[in-house]
Amino acid sequence: MADTLSYELRINGEVLSVASPATATLLDVLRYQLGMTGSKRGCNQGVCGACTVLLDGVPVRGCLTLAANVGERAVTTVEGMSQGGTLSRVQQALLDAGAIQCGFCTPGVVVTLEAFLRDHPKPSADEVRHALSGNLCRCSGYVKIVEAAVIAAGAAP
Amino acid sequence: MNAFVDPVGARLPRLEAREKVVGTAQYLDDHVRPGMLYAAVAQSPHAHARIRGYDVSKAKALPGVKAVVTGADIPVRRVGGMLKDETMLAVGKVRYVGEPVAAVAARDLATARLAAQLIEVDYEPLPTVLSIEDALKPDAPLLHEELASYVRTMDGNSHGNVVWESTLAEGDVDAAWSRCDVIVEGTYRTPAQYHAYMEPNGAIAEVDGNGRITVLATCQSVHHIQTRVADELGIPMSQVRAQVSRVGGGFGGKHASNIHSIAAWLARATGKPVKLALSRTQDMEIQRSRHPALIRLRTGALRDGTVIAREATITLDGGAYADESPNVLAFAMLMIRGPYNIPNVRIRGSAVYTNKLRAGSFRGFGNPQATFAGESQMDELADKLGIDPVELRLHNAMRPGDRWIGGHTATTCQLVACLEKVREAREAAPALPPPKPGRKRGSAVVAVTHISGLMGTSASVHMRGDGTFALNTGCVDIGQGSDTTMTQLCASLLKVPVERIVYGTQDSDLSPYNWKTAGSRSTYMTGRAVVAATEIVRDKILEHAAAMFECATADLELRPGGRVGVVGVPGKEVGFKDVALRSLFRSGGPIVGFHGFVFDGERFDPKRALIERLAFDNLGVYTFGAQCVEVEVDTLTGRVEVLRVWSAHDVGKAINPASVEGQIQGGIVQGLGYALYEQLIWDDDGRLSNPSFADYKVPGILDAPATIVPIVLEDPDPTGPFGAKGVGEISLVGIAPAIANAVCAATGGRLRQIPMTPERVLDALEAS
Amino acid sequence: MRFASPETIADAVRLLSEEGARCLSGGQSLVAMMNADLVAPSTLVSLRRIGELGRIEVGSDGGLSIGAMATHATVAGLKPASAGAELVIAAAGAIGHPAIRNQGTIGGSIAHADPAADYPTAIVCAESTVVVAGASGQRRVPAADFFKGFYETALGPGEIVIAVEVPAGAAGARGHYEKFALIDGDFAVVSVAVIIGMSGGRCSFARLAIGACAAAPVRDPAAEAQLIGTPLDEAALDGAADLLVGRCDPIDDFRGSASYRLKLVPRLLKRAVNAAKQKAERAHG
Repeated sequence: MADTLSYELRINGEVLSVASPATATLLDVLRYQLGMTGSKRGCNQGVCGACTVLLDGVPVRGCLTLAANVGERAVTTVEGMSQGGTLSRVQQALLDAGAIQCGFCTPGVVVTLEAFLRDHPKPSADEVRHALSGNLCRCSGYVKIVEAAVIAAGAAP
Repeated sequence: MNAFVDPVGARLPRLEAREKVVGTAQYLDDHVRPGMLYAAVAQSPHAHARIRGYDVSKAKALPGVKAVVTGADIPVRRVGGMLKDETMLAVGKVRYVGEPVAAVAARDLATARLAAQLIEVDYEPLPTVLSIEDALKPDAPLLHEELASYVRTMDGNSHGNVVWESTLAEGDVDAAWSRCDVIVEGTYRTPAQYHAYMEPNGAIAEVDGNGRITVLATCQSVHHIQTRVADELGIPMSQVRAQVSRVGGGFGGKHASNIHSIAAWLARATGKPVKLALSRTQDMEIQRSRHPALIRLRTGALRDGTVIAREATITLDGGAYADESPNVLAFAMLMIRGPYNIPNVRIRGSAVYTNKLRAGSFRGFGNPQATFAGESQMDELADKLGIDPVELRLHNAMRPGDRWIGGHTATTCQLVACLEKVREAREAAPALPPPKPGRKRGSAVVAVTHISGLMGTSASVHMRGDGTFALNTGCVDIGQGSDTTMTQLCASLLKVPVERIVYGTQDSDLSPYNWKTAGSRSTYMTGRAVVAATEIVRDKILEHAAAMFECATADLELRPGGRVGVVGVPGKEVGFKDVALRSLFRSGGPIVGFHGFVFDGERFDPKRALIERLAFDNLGVYTFGAQCVEVEVDTLTGRVEVLRVWSAHDVGKAINPASVEGQIQGGIVQGLGYALYEQLIWDDDGRLSNPSFADYKVPGILDAPATIVPIVLEDPDPTGPFGAKGVGEISLVGIAPAIANAVCAATGGRLRQIPMTPERVLDALEAS
Repeated sequence: MRFASPETIADAVRLLSEEGARCLSGGQSLVAMMNADLVAPSTLVSLRRIGELGRIEVGSDGGLSIGAMATHATVAGLKPASAGAELVIAAAGAIGHPAIRNQGTIGGSIAHADPAADYPTAIVCAESTVVVAGASGQRRVPAADFFKGFYETALGPGEIVIAVEVPAGAAGARGHYEKFALIDGDFAVVSVAVIIGMSGGRCSFARLAIGACAAAPVRDPAAEAQLIGTPLDEAALDGAADLLVGRCDPIDDFRGSASYRLKLVPRLLKRAVNAAKQKAERAHG
């Protein structure tokens, strides 16, 4: 059995104590130790993007990030996006644009777009598409997700 | 109050969208139970082998292991669709690599997985059958030696490795060939597409103090899961309760699985809740795929373009177990004539066993395979006739009142309008900058059809004491939006905002029966039940109000926002709450509406068509569409890029236009994956070569066109709820032939096999 | 499994001397393999806290020294000031998807040595040097000698990559990376890296490398020499392509057959050379 490590993680502004095997990924710890199940396990190979979280504000794969290697870096998950019960602009736009279907890819899309729009306040649809290129969605054909991002950026056509 | 907006036809956000964007929606693996154990399955390393014995001693000795079950421990109870040939764990033989042979429950997942690896199975490898051609060889190894003894719901002429054989014919095709001026023929091949729903399959089973089992599933029907678990465990359905979590996509792949009964068995053995959640790789190895097909097709026409004959031989590769092969076969056969008035048709179909993952239902259900062949051949015919392909389709297209093969009437049919709309949209679209050197562009239009219907369903509406309502059906929302659609139907009839209706989550103890989320049937079938049940409630409300006002119900009207008023007297009205309180405490009893029915459409006409061993008799209402794609082909590499898509659909009535568009757009990209990228590949040992998302290619956003234009035509169907017909599958159906035809238009290369990998495209270019 | 996160190269190397220890850089391949039960290191040595491994230096000639822990996103975001840099930066931008590029590192990528990956072909073409540290100190390995086979490198036991030095290439030359993959973000079916210099309408400098067509990136100095002095016309490129194809030995897999890959090599080579040539001619009239 794997050795257990004890360490702290900074998640959505809170410092949390964690004890996990060294092999545990950030996704494992979020989902199965901390009960933060917003980040999804779709493939566990870094392909689908449903586990995407922010590390110091930058989108990364939760399933390809070892939790013990996160260190002092701030983790932001979908649970940290709607503070005080108010939806973020990205969340609201996804809802309004009809971009939600089964919803399993949605948490990864939300965090990816939040980080992207922070750095690119007025993106083109093409820039949005490149930003989302690592988030698989099997339901929507992606069209309404891009529309939502453009709405969220306040640049609705 | 604010002006009431009729919920039907409104672009309402999904009712559950908020929990999905904030991350609190609970999919299967998000659920935990106190004291829950984790299950793992041991899977066959062989494509075909006899099981000589098991040694589970090492697994059982591992600390933390609570139960181990193998095929030797379970009574042989075969389940399946029309042919019952499958057990929850392999018994006696394994028939595909990855087949579950044993399962373990342990205190944590790591222990369970380790224990599963420690289970030793003594196998005697057998010769394998890995293709349609091999399965049909006279001396082919048999997958199911006891095939003749299996229970079946009708005769399918099963023999050897043949699961099912059917024939469907109309007119006199043999006599027609001599009258044809032009005949085209070809052989078409399609691959095993994997559903690739984003949420892998899983189940949590638990047993209460009375021994009754509850299974929580990410599934397409709680009633189907309940039936299957009861069948596999050999207990009454009353002893099984099935509930549904949020479902992260299904597309036909989550209608059934071995995993629910395995989890239930382990829960019974341990007395603890047991979670069995598949990894992506296990999901790809254990669940199901779209049927690979081999289709020989011949079509003949008069010089003016009138198609008078079509003959098809369809062979489906069903994999190791029959599952829905007889039904998929029947539907492929029904669809291959296409939406054209062809008087002389003969279709022979069969499905065969091979030592691969079972094939089963998948969005389109045999139709994408048939339409790839049929619509590819329409362009080949147009080319040979020298007729514009759209004109050829218009010339032969079905119109309202025309008959499908077998005699079903297409009551509503906007095929001609759909074809014209996509052609107009394509012509009106802005010109793109010219292609880079070495790239060629082309576009093509195809006609598509599907059905919307099937089987039984029901709905209930309960009025609550404050004048709000509880709507219940067995219809599971697998992402397509049925929770919202059903609520919109109910709210519209009661003239209340959707917030005043709660749509109950599905639970076999509580939900009215529904067959399953499949066959593009939820809006049309369950929607009809919702409308009828709501009308009963509406009428009861009016009766109460009539008693309260001492007038006739004919003098009353529902007013927006939950009121009943006297016609022509603006101030004279009563709120729903007062009606509800009257019913609950004074007179009449709780206001409840229920409606259930089985699809009641026309059956086949045996005087019109020869129909042998076809797994359906009636299906549903027919839906029509036309799809136009524009592609760019890199002639150096063979890579095909789809630039733009226009897709027109005859939906009857769009209950929620945003959902309708989402279904169309999503189906198109799933169809694009089928056309260009996706295929499960087995090696010579029958092992999957690409069971992960790293190797199985699901199209990402940059692989999908930025421009996908849904065109929604509304021509209400007289039987549909508010005239609506289903739109869940049809948008996937025509994309592969549309792309193949567009590639041919661009380059002259004709591809009769999908996926159209760059390598195959280059070969076709060089052959042209 | 044990986990360590040392702060110096010396400590990392010492920890890695243990049997079964592996180093963790970006983890985008290693953790995926751990998740698939393909590897189970006894100790994982994270290089994350070793600050100097993240350093990137740009030489006065535009050449680069890229610390092993520089992410693909960081490299892809650099402004190229030489042909070598232009090529390697383009390759970095072609890797995977944004979230992968945000964590994956150049050191991890080349130490993994997947022949279908993007960096190996680019750094071989650019005649880069891989700087390696081990128990006995540092050594410098030419990129062409670093890649030994499928997932095999010149790294000895306990050695780690600490930097990749990318020379500028000839003044006025331009780099181009042509990747052909089945779908966006996938590994290459075939990739081609080139650096081309032009002078008076004739090729004055050529470096060519082919990826995903052998156990390691393929280069042939004779093919490059053959292009010098030519206008890079069809005949010259055919000749160079023939030599390169002769050195390729691709596998058959679901991404493409060996014969298809061999067919693509000359086609993509021409596309890449022409792209680089046009850039070189635009820059130098």
